[in-house]
Amino acid sequence: MKKPNVLVIGAGLAGMEASLILAEAGRKVYLVEKESLIGGQTIKFEEVYPNMECATCMVAPKQQEILQNENIDLLLLSKVEQVKGSVGEFKVKIKKKARYVSLAKCIGCGACYEPCPISLENEFEEGLSKKKAIAVPCPGALPNVPAIDPESCLRLNGKKKECQACKEACMFDAVDFSEKEEILDLEVGAILIATGFDMFDVKKLPQYSYGKANNVYTAMEFERLYAANGPTEGKLVLRDGGIPKSIGIIHCVGRAEQGYCSGVCCMYSTKFSHFLKHKIPEAKVCEFHSDLCIPGKSHQKFYQKTLNQGIDFIRCEDIKVEDKNGKLQVNYKNHNGGKDIFKADMIILSPAMTARRDTESLAEILGISQDKKGFFSTQSEKLSPVSTAVDGIFIAGCAEGPKDIPNSIAQAEAAAGKILSILS
Amino acid sequence: MNEKIGVYVCECGPNISDRIEIDRVIEKISSVEGVKVVKKFGLLCSNDGKKYLADEIKKEELTHLVVAACSPREHEQTFMNVCLEAGLNPYLFQLINIREQCAWMISDKEEATRMAIKYILAGISRVTLHRPLLKKELDIISDVLVIGGGISGIEASLSLAGKNRKVYLVEKKESIGGMVKNFSALLPYQGSNLAVIEEKIKQVQNNENIEVLTSSEVEDVLGFLGNFEAVIKSNGDGSVKKEIKIGAVVVATGFSLFNLKDTPQYGYGKIENVLDALEFEKMSASGKILLKNGKPPKSVALIHCVGREEKGYCSKVCCLYSIKFALHLQDKLPVVDVTEFYSDLCLPEKADQDYFEEAKKKGIRFIRADEFEVKDKAGKISVEYKVAGGKKDSIAVDMAILAPAIVPSEDTSKLAEILNLPLDETGFFKEVHEMLDPISTPIEGVYVAGCALGPKNIPESIIQSQAASGKILSSLIPGKKIEPEVKVSEIKEEFCTGCQMCLSVCFYGAISFDEHKGISVVNEAICRGCGSCVGSCPSGAIRSKHFTYPQLYREVLQALR
Repeated sequence: MKKPNVLVIGAGLAGMEASLILAEAGRKVYLVEKESLIGGQTIKFEEVYPNMECATCMVAPKQQEILQNENIDLLLLSKVEQVKGSVGEFKVKIKKKARYVSLAKCIGCGACYEPCPISLENEFEEGLSKKKAIAVPCPGALPNVPAIDPESCLRLNGKKKECQACKEACMFDAVDFSEKEEILDLEVGAILIATGFDMFDVKKLPQYSYGKANNVYTAMEFERLYAANGPTEGKLVLRDGGIPKSIGIIHCVGRAEQGYCSGVCCMYSTKFSHFLKHKIPEAKVCEFHSDLCIPGKSHQKFYQKTLNQGIDFIRCEDIKVEDKNGKLQVNYKNHNGGKDIFKADMIILSPAMTARRDTESLAEILGISQDKKGFFSTQSEKLSPVSTAVDGIFIAGCAEGPKDIPNSIAQAEAAAGKILSILS
Repeated sequence: MNEKIGVYVCECGPNISDRIEIDRVIEKISSVEGVKVVKKFGLLCSNDGKKYLADEIKKEELTHLVVAACSPREHEQTFMNVCLEAGLNPYLFQLINIREQCAWMISDKEEATRMAIKYILAGISRVTLHRPLLKKELDIISDVLVIGGGISGIEASLSLAGKNRKVYLVEKKESIGGMVKNFSALLPYQGSNLAVIEEKIKQVQNNENIEVLTSSEVEDVLGFLGNFEAVIKSNGDGSVKKEIKIGAVVVATGFSLFNLKDTPQYGYGKIENVLDALEFEKMSASGKILLKNGKPPKSVALIHCVGREEKGYCSKVCCLYSIKFALHLQDKLPVVDVTEFYSDLCLPEKADQDYFEEAKKKGIRFIRADEFEVKDKAGKISVEYKVAGGKKDSIAVDMAILAPAIVPSEDTSKLAEILNLPLDETGFFKEVHEMLDPISTPIEGVYVAGCALGPKNIPESIIQSQAASGKILSSLIPGKKIEPEVKVSEIKEEFCTGCQMCLSVCFYGAISFDEHKGISVVNEAICRGCGSCVGSCPSGAIRSKHFTYPQLYREVLQALR
C-alpha cells in the first residue's frame, strides 16, 4: 500500500513550490528545512533580474502559503538522518534541533532580543553583522520567531545557568529552555531533494585578494549589503566606512576550477551594475567577463539597457586583484593580448554556484550518487532531469545543478507532477 | 436595523495594548448603532481565542463579526474559518488592521487610539452592507488537450495520460515527433542515441489513453478550467471536425528558425553549400554528409548567433549543437577541418563545458568574431569576418552551417487569438510571472511548455512539460470538484449598454458578449475578482460582489468624519 505522504528536503523556492503543488492535490507534505526560517537563498537578495523585482516581496506570498497550509507540516532546524525502505514506503528519521522558543506562542514582537547579553556572527548576513544569541536571522524572517543558539546562549552552554533575560522580556511565555532535540520517524511514499546550492569558496583563489583586501566582496556579501533589511539597511558603505566611487565586478570566479559555467552570474552581475549606477550615479562601474552567458528572452535586453547606462563590459582574461595601499587594482589582459589596469574602491566577485557542502553525506543517506561536478546525479540528464536512479526519490532546483529561479520553479512543478503520478 | 454586530479587539500582547487605549476604543464603539457587543481579548488567533470567538458568535447570535487586530494577510482566513464553523457566513465579517496600519506605525498613543477608532467605525459601516456570498462547487473533466506533437507535447501526454485522464494530442503535421525527430544525434555524443526519442514516440502511439490526431489543428477553444470545449479540424482542408471536452490545455507548439533571408550577408539561399542547422541535421540523419557536387566536405565553418542581434536575444542552444555538429563531422568524415565562429560562448549546463573542452582537444578551432560576409570565391565558400580588436580575416571552406536564432513557430499568433493568450515582445507566448509562474498563462487551466515559451534545450522542454502536468495533476483531480473565486464581478443587465469596454480590459478572458441580448456577461468560474472591469464601465453596470460602491463609499466617508 503506497503511502501518499511526501518528504520535501529544503524550503527554498523549489521546495516550497513543490510542497504547495503536492498540498493542493491533497497530499500531506513534510517540509524539512535545516535553517530556522524558510525561503532559501532568494530571500537574501534585494532584487531579482531582469525586472528588478523586490525579491522578498515576491517570495513572501509563497512563504505565507507554506506557513498556513494545513497539508504542510513544516519541520525547521531539521535534517534527514536516515532513509530506509523503497518507493511507496520510505521510513525516514528526522533530527529536529530545539528552537527553545514556541512557534505557537511567539508572535514575533522581538522584545527578547535587546536584553540578551550575547552577540555572535550572523551567518545569514554573510558575517557582515552580528546577531544576539536569541534572534531571527534577518528582519522579515518567516516564520517570525527567533531561535536560541545553544552554543552561544549563556544559560544553555552552562556559562551562566541563571540567565533568563529573554524569558523575562517575553509577554507570551514563549521561551522554553527545557525544549529538547527530537528524533521524528516518518513514513512517506516519495522524497524530493530541493536542498539548493552553495557558492564557490573564493578564498581558494588568492589572486583576487579576498580576505586580505578590505573591500573585496563576494556576490552574496554584496547582496546583503544592498538589501533593505540587511546589515546596513541598504546603504552602500564599505567595510572601511567609505562610499565606493569605482567598482569592478569580476565574473567567472571559480569557473575553471569547477569546470562549468553557472549560467546566472552574468545576469546577476549586470543586476549589480544596474543597481550601483542607480544608487551612485557618478560611480564608475566595470564588469570583467570572459563570455557573456545571457540566454533567455528578456536577458539580452536587460544587458543592453545596463550597457546604455554607461557600464563598461570588458572582455578579458588573467584577472588579478591587487591591494595597493588600501586602494584596489584590477590587472587584466584584454582581447588584444595587451595588459591593462582598472583602479577600484570596491571589487565584487561573482563565484560559481556549487553543490551544497553536505551533498556527499545526504547522497549517502539517500543512496544516490553525485555527478562529476558534485551535484546529485539524475537518472538521465537529458530525458529524466528530475528523477534519480532510486525509484521514488526526485530532485529539483539547484540541488541538481546551477539554474535560475524560473527553471527551479518549473523543475519543482515537474517533480511534484512525477510524484503525483507515481503515488496516485 | 436588526443587526447584531460583534466587535472584538485583539490586544496582541503588548503589540496593540501598549500602543492603543483599548478601553477607550471599546467605550467609543459600544455606542454605535447595530453594535451588540464590544470586547477585548488577549490573542484572538490562538486556539483559545478562536474558540472564544466561535462561542461569542453563537451566544450573542451575531449577524456580523468585526475583528480589530493584525493584517488580513495574517489572519483573515483564520477568522473566516471561525465564522464558518460557528454558522456565520464568512463574508459577513471584516478584519480591521489596527496593528501594522496603526499601533506599529503611530508612536503617539493618543493619535494611535484616535486612528484605531476611525478604522473600526469605518469597518463597521462597511460590514453591514456585506452580502452573504456563497462558495460554489463545479464538476470537472479531467481530460487534457495537448497542442503540438513535438518532444514537449509527447512528454506532457505521457505524463498526463492515465486510466481516468484521456489526452488528446493534436499535431498539424502528418506525424508526431516535432523538430527532434529530424536530429541526427544528441549529446553526449555517442553515435546516434535518438532511439530514446523514437521510444517515446512509440510509447505515445501505444498508449490507449492518448488519442493522437495528426494532420489536425485546433479551430476553437471555449470555457474555463475544468470545463473547456474544443473544436479540432483535420485533414488539412478542415473537412473533418471533432468536438472534444477537456479540463485543461497544454500548448506545446515549438519553434521555427529565424528567416535567413533577413541576413543576406551569410549567403543562405544564394551560395551553394551554405546550410542552416536543421538542414544539416537532416543531412546527417540521412547518413550522407555531402556537398552539392556529391563529394564530402573537407572543411566546414559553423557560424553561431545568426539573427541574434536582429532578434535581441540569445537562443541558448546553438553553441552546444554547433559543437555537436563539429564532433559529428569529425566522427563521420575521414578528413575534415572545422572552425566555429561565435560572439559569446553560451554553455550554461553542467556538462556543456566538457563538450567544449573535448572539441578543442580534437582540434576544432573556435574564433570569436562578428561582421560576417559569406562569399562565393572560385567554387569555395569564403567566410570573411572581423575579430575583436578590429583585424579582418577570412577562411575558405567547402561548407558553411549557420545557426539561426530560434523564433516562435508560425502558428503562434493564430493560436494565441484562439486561446486568448498574450504574446510577449519577442512573439513567444507570455508566461504569467517570469520568475514564479513560468509555464502558466492568464487563462487558468491553459499552460504552455517548451520552445513555444522561448528558446530552450531538450531537458528544459521536458521539465516544462512535466511541470504543466504537475500543475494539472494537482488541480484537476478526477471526481474532485473545484471551487472558483467567490468575490467576483457581476454585471447588472439593465445598466449595460453593450459597449464592451470591460471585455477589452479583462486580463483573464472572463467576460463574453451576449450578441442576442446585446450585453456583456461575466463568467463567474473564470473571474478572479481583480476589479479592472468595474473601473472601466462607463455606465457603472459592473460591480464587485465584495467591493461595491456603497460599501467603499460608506467606509471612506466614515473614515473621513
